[in-house]
Amino acid sequence: MKKKLPNSCPSCSSELQVSSLHCNACDTTINGLYNLPAITLLDPKEQEFILKFVINSGSLKVMAKELNLSYPTVRNMLDELINKIKNLQENDQETI
Amino acid sequence: MIKKLFNPFEFIAGGKALIIGLIIILATVTIGFYSNTHFPDIISVKKAGEFPFSYLIIQSFTNWLVVSILFYLAAIILSKSKVRIIDIFGTQALARAPYILGALIGFSESLNKFSQYLLWMSLQVGDPVEITSFEAIIAVTLIVCTLLLTVWMITLMLNAYKVSANLKGVKLTVSFIIVFILAMVITATLSQIILNRMQTT
Repeated sequence: MKKKLPNSCPSCSSELQVSSLHCNACDTTINGLYNLPAITLLDPKEQEFILKFVINSGSLKVMAKELNLSYPTVRNMLDELINKIKNLQENDQETI
Repeated sequence: MIKKLFNPFEFIAGGKALIIGLIIILATVTIGFYSNTHFPDIISVKKAGEFPFSYLIIQSFTNWLVVSILFYLAAIILSKSKVRIIDIFGTQALARAPYILGALIGFSESLNKFSQYLLWMSLQVGDPVEITSFEAIIAVTLIVCTLLLTVWMITLMLNAYKVSANLKGVKLTVSFIIVFILAMVITATLSQIILNRMQTT
Protein backbone atom coordinates (compact mmCIF):
# COMPACT_ATOMS: atom_id res chain seq x y z
CA MET A 1 0.00 0.00 0.00
CA LYS A 2 1.34 3.42 -0.95
CA LYS A 3 1.39 5.65 2.11
CA LYS A 4 0.04 9.19 1.70
CA LEU A 5 2.05 11.99 3.30
CA PRO A 6 -0.36 13.98 5.45
CA ASN A 7 0.03 17.75 5.16
CA SER A 8 -2.68 18.98 7.53
CA CYS A 9 -3.52 18.09 11.12
CA PRO A 10 -6.40 15.58 11.35
CA SER A 11 -7.42 17.20 14.61
CA CYS A 12 -7.48 20.94 13.85
CA SER A 13 -6.67 21.04 10.07
CA SER A 14 -3.64 23.29 10.63
CA GLU A 15 -0.55 22.89 8.47
CA LEU A 16 1.80 20.17 9.74
CA GLN A 17 5.56 20.55 10.25
CA VAL A 18 8.37 17.98 10.30
CA SER A 19 9.65 17.41 13.81
CA SER A 20 12.04 14.49 13.25
CA LEU A 21 14.02 12.88 10.42
CA HIS A 22 15.44 9.39 10.62
CA CYS A 23 18.28 7.65 8.74
CA ASN A 24 17.51 3.95 8.32
CA ALA A 25 21.13 3.12 7.44
CA CYS A 26 22.80 4.32 10.65
CA ASP A 27 19.75 4.77 12.82
CA THR A 28 20.37 8.48 13.37
CA THR A 29 17.40 10.61 14.31
CA ILE A 30 17.43 14.38 13.91
CA ASN A 31 14.91 16.33 15.92
CA GLY A 32 13.93 19.87 14.96
CA LEU A 33 11.16 21.88 13.41
CA TYR A 34 11.09 22.05 9.62
CA ASN A 35 8.41 23.33 7.28
CA LEU A 36 7.14 20.91 4.64
CA PRO A 37 8.14 21.91 1.06
CA ALA A 38 5.40 23.85 -0.75
CA ILE A 39 4.82 21.03 -3.25
CA THR A 40 3.94 18.51 -0.50
CA LEU A 41 1.28 20.91 0.80
CA LEU A 42 -0.66 20.65 -2.46
CA ASP A 43 -3.55 18.22 -2.99
CA PRO A 44 -2.58 14.85 -4.51
CA LYS A 45 -4.41 15.84 -7.73
CA GLU A 46 -2.43 19.07 -7.94
CA GLN A 47 0.84 17.20 -7.33
CA GLU A 48 -0.12 14.79 -10.11
CA PHE A 49 -0.84 17.74 -12.43
CA ILE A 50 2.65 19.17 -11.75
CA LEU A 51 4.28 15.79 -12.43
CA LYS A 52 2.38 15.41 -15.72
CA PHE A 53 3.28 18.96 -16.68
CA VAL A 54 7.00 18.29 -16.14
CA ILE A 55 6.85 14.92 -17.93
CA ASN A 56 5.18 16.64 -20.91
CA SER A 57 8.04 19.19 -21.07
CA GLY A 58 5.74 21.95 -19.83
CA SER A 59 3.57 21.82 -22.95
CA LEU A 60 0.03 22.96 -22.22
CA LYS A 61 -1.08 21.71 -25.64
CA VAL A 62 0.07 18.16 -24.86
CA MET A 63 -1.46 18.41 -21.38
CA ALA A 64 -4.80 19.52 -22.86
CA LYS A 65 -4.75 16.55 -25.23
CA GLU A 66 -3.86 14.10 -22.46
CA LEU A 67 -6.49 15.41 -20.03
CA ASN A 68 -9.17 15.79 -22.75
CA LEU A 69 -9.61 19.43 -21.79
CA SER A 70 -9.33 22.65 -23.77
CA TYR A 71 -6.09 24.67 -23.81
CA PRO A 72 -7.47 27.64 -21.78
CA THR A 73 -8.93 25.25 -19.15
CA VAL A 74 -5.50 23.68 -18.59
CA ARG A 75 -3.83 27.11 -18.59
CA ASN A 76 -6.37 28.29 -15.96
CA MET A 77 -5.60 25.21 -13.83
CA LEU A 78 -1.88 25.99 -14.06
CA ASP A 79 -2.44 29.67 -13.19
CA GLU A 80 -4.46 28.67 -10.11
CA LEU A 81 -1.69 26.32 -9.08
CA ILE A 82 0.96 29.04 -9.53
CA ASN A 83 -1.08 31.38 -7.30
CA LYS A 84 -1.49 28.66 -4.67
CA ILE A 85 2.26 27.90 -4.64
CA LYS A 86 3.09 31.61 -4.41
CA ASN A 87 0.75 31.98 -1.40
CA LEU A 88 2.26 28.89 0.26
CA GLN A 89 5.77 30.28 -0.26
CA GLU A 90 4.72 33.65 1.17
CA ASN A 91 3.21 31.94 4.22
CA ASP A 92 6.37 29.85 4.56
CA GLN A 93 8.56 32.97 4.59
CA GLU A 94 6.29 34.64 7.15
CA THR A 95 6.65 31.67 9.53
CA ILE A 96 10.47 31.87 9.18
CA MET B 1 -24.05 16.26 -20.37
CA ILE B 2 -25.61 19.47 -18.97
CA LYS B 3 -22.10 20.85 -18.35
CA LYS B 4 -21.20 20.15 -21.98
CA LEU B 5 -24.35 21.95 -23.14
CA PHE B 6 -23.75 25.08 -21.07
CA ASN B 7 -19.96 25.08 -20.85
CA PRO B 8 -18.43 23.08 -23.72
CA PHE B 9 -15.42 25.41 -23.61
CA GLU B 10 -13.79 23.38 -20.84
CA PHE B 11 -13.34 20.73 -23.52
CA ILE B 12 -13.18 22.70 -26.77
CA ALA B 13 -11.61 26.08 -27.55
CA GLY B 14 -9.08 27.68 -29.88
CA GLY B 15 -8.92 26.78 -33.59
CA LYS B 16 -11.31 23.83 -33.31
CA ALA B 17 -14.02 25.98 -31.71
CA LEU B 18 -13.39 28.70 -34.30
CA ILE B 19 -13.85 26.37 -37.29
CA ILE B 20 -17.00 24.72 -35.85
CA GLY B 21 -18.35 28.12 -34.76
CA LEU B 22 -17.83 29.71 -38.19
CA ILE B 23 -19.53 26.76 -39.92
CA ILE B 24 -22.47 27.11 -37.50
CA ILE B 25 -22.71 30.90 -38.14
CA LEU B 26 -22.71 30.26 -41.91
CA ALA B 27 -25.36 27.55 -41.55
CA THR B 28 -27.47 29.87 -39.35
CA VAL B 29 -27.28 32.65 -41.96
CA THR B 30 -28.23 30.24 -44.77
CA ILE B 31 -31.20 28.84 -42.84
CA GLY B 32 -32.18 32.37 -41.79
CA PHE B 33 -32.11 33.48 -45.44
CA TYR B 34 -34.70 30.85 -46.38
CA SER B 35 -36.82 31.28 -43.21
CA ASN B 36 -36.70 35.11 -43.39
CA THR B 37 -35.05 35.30 -39.97
CA HIS B 38 -32.27 37.73 -39.15
CA PHE B 39 -30.19 38.79 -36.15
CA PRO B 40 -30.01 42.60 -35.98
CA ASP B 41 -27.83 42.63 -32.82
CA ILE B 42 -26.00 40.12 -30.63
CA ILE B 43 -29.14 38.55 -29.12
CA SER B 44 -32.19 39.59 -31.17
CA VAL B 45 -33.95 37.14 -33.47
CA LYS B 46 -36.36 38.83 -35.88
CA LYS B 47 -38.75 37.66 -38.52
CA ALA B 48 -38.71 40.16 -41.35
CA GLY B 49 -39.07 40.48 -45.09
CA GLU B 50 -36.52 39.13 -47.52
CA PHE B 51 -33.02 40.51 -47.03
CA PRO B 52 -30.08 39.99 -49.40
CA PHE B 53 -27.88 37.04 -48.41
CA SER B 54 -24.82 39.33 -48.36
CA TYR B 55 -26.52 41.57 -45.76
CA LEU B 56 -27.33 38.60 -43.51
CA ILE B 57 -23.73 37.36 -43.78
CA ILE B 58 -22.28 40.80 -42.92
CA GLN B 59 -24.80 41.21 -40.06
CA SER B 60 -24.01 37.85 -38.42
CA PHE B 61 -20.24 38.20 -38.79
CA THR B 62 -20.39 41.77 -37.46
CA ASN B 63 -22.27 40.49 -34.37
CA TRP B 64 -19.58 37.87 -33.74
CA LEU B 65 -16.62 40.16 -34.49
CA VAL B 66 -17.83 43.10 -32.36
CA VAL B 67 -18.55 40.96 -29.31
CA SER B 68 -15.24 39.07 -29.70
CA ILE B 69 -13.14 42.25 -30.07
CA LEU B 70 -14.78 43.80 -26.98
CA PHE B 71 -14.31 40.63 -24.90
CA TYR B 72 -10.68 40.40 -26.04
CA LEU B 73 -9.99 44.01 -25.02
CA ALA B 74 -11.66 43.46 -21.63
CA ALA B 75 -9.67 40.22 -21.15
CA ILE B 76 -6.26 41.75 -21.88
CA ILE B 77 -7.04 44.65 -19.54
CA LEU B 78 -8.45 42.59 -16.65
CA SER B 79 -6.92 39.11 -16.80
CA LYS B 80 -3.63 38.17 -15.19
CA SER B 81 -3.44 35.09 -17.44
CA LYS B 82 -1.98 34.99 -20.93
CA VAL B 83 -5.13 35.35 -23.07
CA ARG B 84 -5.07 33.89 -26.59
CA ILE B 85 -7.07 35.83 -29.20
CA ILE B 86 -8.06 32.55 -30.93
CA ASP B 87 -9.71 31.29 -27.71
CA ILE B 88 -11.88 34.42 -27.38
CA PHE B 89 -12.88 34.49 -31.08
CA GLY B 90 -13.30 30.70 -31.31
CA THR B 91 -15.41 30.25 -28.19
CA GLN B 92 -17.58 33.30 -28.99
CA ALA B 93 -18.24 31.87 -32.48
CA LEU B 94 -19.25 28.52 -30.97
CA ALA B 95 -21.41 30.29 -28.35
CA ARG B 96 -23.71 31.43 -31.17
CA ALA B 97 -24.72 27.79 -31.90
CA PRO B 98 -28.21 27.98 -30.26
CA TYR B 99 -29.33 30.48 -32.91
CA ILE B 100 -29.18 27.85 -35.62
CA LEU B 101 -32.37 26.56 -33.92
CA GLY B 102 -33.67 30.15 -33.80
CA ALA B 103 -33.27 30.34 -37.59
CA LEU B 104 -35.12 27.02 -37.97
CA ILE B 105 -38.01 28.28 -35.81
CA GLY B 106 -38.48 31.00 -38.45
CA PHE B 107 -39.92 28.39 -40.86
CA SER B 108 -43.05 28.05 -38.72
CA GLU B 109 -46.19 29.23 -40.53
CA SER B 110 -48.02 29.54 -37.20
CA LEU B 111 -45.45 32.09 -36.02
CA ASN B 112 -45.88 34.12 -39.24
CA LYS B 113 -49.66 34.03 -38.93
CA PHE B 114 -49.53 34.91 -35.22
CA SER B 115 -47.32 37.98 -35.83
CA GLN B 116 -49.65 39.13 -38.66
CA TYR B 117 -52.62 38.57 -36.33
CA LEU B 118 -51.01 40.63 -33.54
CA LEU B 119 -50.15 43.44 -35.97
CA TRP B 120 -53.75 43.51 -37.24
CA MET B 121 -55.28 43.31 -33.75
CA SER B 122 -53.10 45.95 -32.09
CA LEU B 123 -52.23 48.37 -34.91
CA GLN B 124 -54.66 47.47 -37.72
CA VAL B 125 -51.67 46.91 -39.98
CA GLY B 126 -51.97 44.49 -42.93
CA ASP B 127 -54.91 42.28 -43.82
CA PRO B 128 -57.30 40.81 -41.24
CA VAL B 129 -56.04 37.39 -40.14
CA GLU B 130 -57.95 34.47 -38.63
CA ILE B 131 -55.95 32.24 -36.30
CA THR B 132 -56.95 28.94 -34.65
CA SER B 133 -56.21 28.33 -30.97
CA PHE B 134 -53.88 25.45 -31.98
CA GLU B 135 -51.84 27.82 -34.17
CA ALA B 136 -51.72 30.37 -31.33
CA ILE B 137 -50.45 27.72 -28.88
CA ILE B 138 -47.76 26.61 -31.36
CA ALA B 139 -46.69 30.23 -31.93
CA VAL B 140 -46.50 31.05 -28.20
CA THR B 141 -44.53 27.83 -27.56
CA LEU B 142 -42.05 28.79 -30.29
CA ILE B 143 -41.68 32.31 -28.84
CA VAL B 144 -40.91 30.77 -25.43
CA CYS B 145 -38.41 28.41 -27.13
CA THR B 146 -36.69 31.43 -28.74
CA LEU B 147 -36.42 33.10 -25.32
CA LEU B 148 -34.87 29.92 -23.89
CA LEU B 149 -32.41 29.84 -26.80
CA THR B 150 -31.43 33.42 -25.97
CA VAL B 151 -30.81 32.48 -22.31
CA TRP B 152 -28.77 29.47 -23.47
CA MET B 153 -26.68 31.63 -25.82
CA ILE B 154 -26.01 34.29 -23.15
CA THR B 155 -24.89 31.53 -20.72
CA LEU B 156 -22.58 30.16 -23.42
CA MET B 157 -21.16 33.64 -24.11
CA LEU B 158 -20.49 34.15 -20.39
CA ASN B 159 -18.80 30.76 -19.99
CA ALA B 160 -16.78 31.29 -23.18
CA TYR B 161 -15.48 34.59 -21.79
CA LYS B 162 -14.89 33.08 -18.32
CA VAL B 163 -12.79 30.17 -19.64
CA SER B 164 -10.89 32.13 -22.31
CA ALA B 165 -10.02 35.07 -20.07
CA ASN B 166 -9.68 33.21 -16.75
CA LEU B 167 -11.80 35.74 -14.89
CA LYS B 168 -13.98 35.21 -11.82
CA GLY B 169 -16.28 37.01 -9.40
CA VAL B 170 -16.98 40.73 -9.67
CA LYS B 171 -14.42 41.30 -12.45
CA LEU B 172 -16.13 38.68 -14.62
CA THR B 173 -19.72 39.77 -13.91
CA VAL B 174 -19.20 43.53 -14.26
CA SER B 175 -16.99 43.33 -17.37
CA PHE B 176 -19.41 40.87 -19.01
CA ILE B 177 -22.40 43.17 -18.43
CA ILE B 178 -20.52 46.25 -19.73
CA VAL B 179 -19.23 44.44 -22.85
CA PHE B 180 -22.66 42.92 -23.46
CA ILE B 181 -24.47 46.30 -23.35
CA LEU B 182 -21.77 47.97 -25.48
CA ALA B 183 -21.93 45.14 -28.03
CA MET B 184 -25.75 45.40 -28.18
CA VAL B 185 -25.60 49.12 -28.94
CA ILE B 186 -22.74 48.85 -31.45
CA THR B 187 -24.15 45.87 -33.37
CA ALA B 188 -27.68 47.33 -33.54
CA THR B 189 -26.26 50.61 -34.88
CA LEU B 190 -23.93 48.90 -37.36
CA SER B 191 -26.74 46.64 -38.57
CA GLN B 192 -28.89 49.68 -39.36
CA ILE B 193 -26.00 51.54 -41.06
CA ILE B 194 -25.14 48.51 -43.23
CA LEU B 195 -28.79 48.06 -44.24
CA ASN B 196 -29.16 51.76 -45.13
CA ARG B 197 -25.97 51.66 -47.22
CA MET B 198 -27.07 48.52 -49.04
CA GLN B 199 -30.47 50.04 -49.80
CA THR B 200 -28.98 53.25 -51.21
CA THR B 201 -26.47 51.45 -53.47
